[in-house]
Amino acid sequence: MGEQLIIAVSREFGSGGHAVAQLLSEKYNIPLYDSNLLEDIADQKNLDAQALGKYDEKSKASFFTRSVRGFSTSPEENLAWMQFKYLKSMADEGKSFVIVGRCAEEVLKENPNLVTIFVLGNMESKIHRIMERYQTTRDKAVKLIEQQDKKRKTYHNRYCQGKWGDSRNYDICINSRLGVDKTADIIAQFIDGERELKH
Amino acid sequence: MMIAKILALTIFIVMFVLIITDKIEKCLVTLCCGLATAVFVFGLSMHSMSAFTETLNVRNIFTLGFWYEAGSSAESTSGVNWATIIFLAGMMIMVEGMAKAGFFRWLCMTIAKLVKYKVIPIFLTFMVMSFVLAMFIDSITVILFLAAVTVELAQLLKFNPVPIILSEIFCANLGGSATMCGDPPNIIIGTSLGYSFADFVTNTGLIAVISLVVIVAYFYLCFRKELGKAGGDVDISKMPSPKSAITDKKAFAISTVIFLIAVALLITHAQTGLTVAFIGTFIAIITLLTSGKNAKAILKGVDYKTLLFFIGLFFVVGGLEQTGILEIFAQFIGKVSGGNIMVMIAIIIWVSAIASAFIDNIPFAATMIPVIKTLSATTGADLSVLSWTLAMGTDIGGSATPIGASANVVGTSIASREGYPVTWGKYCKVAVPATVIVILLSMVSIYVRYL
Repeated sequence: MGEQLIIAVSREFGSGGHAVAQLLSEKYNIPLYDSNLLEDIADQKNLDAQALGKYDEKSKASFFTRSVRGFSTSPEENLAWMQFKYLKSMADEGKSFVIVGRCAEEVLKENPNLVTIFVLGNMESKIHRIMERYQTTRDKAVKLIEQQDKKRKTYHNRYCQGKWGDSRNYDICINSRLGVDKTADIIAQFIDGERELKH
Repeated sequence: MMIAKILALTIFIVMFVLIITDKIEKCLVTLCCGLATAVFVFGLSMHSMSAFTETLNVRNIFTLGFWYEAGSSAESTSGVNWATIIFLAGMMIMVEGMAKAGFFRWLCMTIAKLVKYKVIPIFLTFMVMSFVLAMFIDSITVILFLAAVTVELAQLLKFNPVPIILSEIFCANLGGSATMCGDPPNIIIGTSLGYSFADFVTNTGLIAVISLVVIVAYFYLCFRKELGKAGGDVDISKMPSPKSAITDKKAFAISTVIFLIAVALLITHAQTGLTVAFIGTFIAIITLLTSGKNAKAILKGVDYKTLLFFIGLFFVVGGLEQTGILEIFAQFIGKVSGGNIMVMIAIIIWVSAIASAFIDNIPFAATMIPVIKTLSATTGADLSVLSWTLAMGTDIGGSATPIGASANVVGTSIASREGYPVTWGKYCKVAVPATVIVILLSMVSIYVRYL
């Protein structure tokens, strides 16, 4: 199995961050978790993944929530907590994986085998990528990018001390303008270099 | 004086709104509002040092009567209710010691084992256990452990824990209403108005026990189909043994003994004359002395924020009292009810219940105490009857919604974190009818018994 490796990838919407994460997962032959994390948890605990899915990666709702001693009535918060706990337990068990989003760079920061990445992109490349992926107009792509980034930022900043995208929270912040493959290579160089240093 | 009234009321409303919106730490809210009351109401508007010192009420701690009451009935007090705070602190320390030793988990696992891990018997026994424990221990702690064990058993025995957790929550709130020490509103009512443990047990306790029978039947009818299908053949040898829950045998034995001492002291406190403040302090001291090197960890586990929340809250309510606003409110109720005690009881119990369903019941109860005192004085209504009415309304009303009481928040959160989200719909569908049943039962019991 080898040494533990956890790669936490945070990304701007449309930056190709997910594709980069996929490439890293294939290169190091370790599982990739993103929204499927919930399915994995649901599978293990015999729960309904779809029912849980509607609360996923949404920030705490409304007026009608209350919290007592760190316990909250918000299903969104509790779902987030459940995923953070699951990630921590996998990390504590020595498992290696790539995790996209889910505040992983903060949740797992105590783990010495964690590498944290933030993938950003130029606005034009992001727009083109989204237009192609969703077969949509330029205007709609721009709007979608703004909405999704805002959603991720709100979710992240709700649960983390470090702000979303703040370079101080990540080992590498990289603009994907060299393309997804080259971006993944550069990140892999960093990871391999660090492993060499450790030995 | 008008300005003082307006300021006191404004500070109170601001405090309530800030508590509800839950954006700022509750204890900070009440402490700042308490400070604002001291400065703006007592200081700048009333220029009254005596209003300040009366509300601060620290002098009370240094009187013999605070620790030992020779006579059968205690005097009623106003201002910061230090007896409640000291008692709560003492019980928190005791409970922290019990929790660390594994007492609660052991108890749950023992009962589950005794009923051979069958789902419906677990459902019924856990409801009763929740009620009984909550009579002496704060319902947050009771649910913290009960819900966690229920989820654990649910995963091992393959059943949905939500119905059982919802039922446990309701029974914990119900159990808390049965005694003077079970739920903070009761502690506040008891210490402010001079009612003993026996007073509560023979009044609200009776209503609570009758309600328990009805409510267990109700929840059984609601959930028997869903739970009846669950579970199956269980290999008992694979279940965690109750003994494994005990983290430290010596600490477990000591904490159990201390708990039994606490229960004995509380039950007999009217006869012995020992006040709840004394009992709380005594229990805290023996817990800390017997816990050796764990004492520091136990002290750290005490929920200081809740204690500070209470101090600030009592001060703000004291501001309302000193400025006479609560008297006005009491007179309003007296007028609306036309002096008719049955109407008064109905108003108090339903308004308390509905308010407690959405707003923290503790500030509500604290605010209503001076109101019922005045109401009793002006209309001749029996203060004890109004007290039981207020207690039942505030204790039970909180069960109706997921945010009504702290136990509800903790229980639903624990279920949710394990992948069983509890929506308002799911919660209220069973809890609201149950709440209405118990409030109706309480109201009728009060009418029949006292009028």
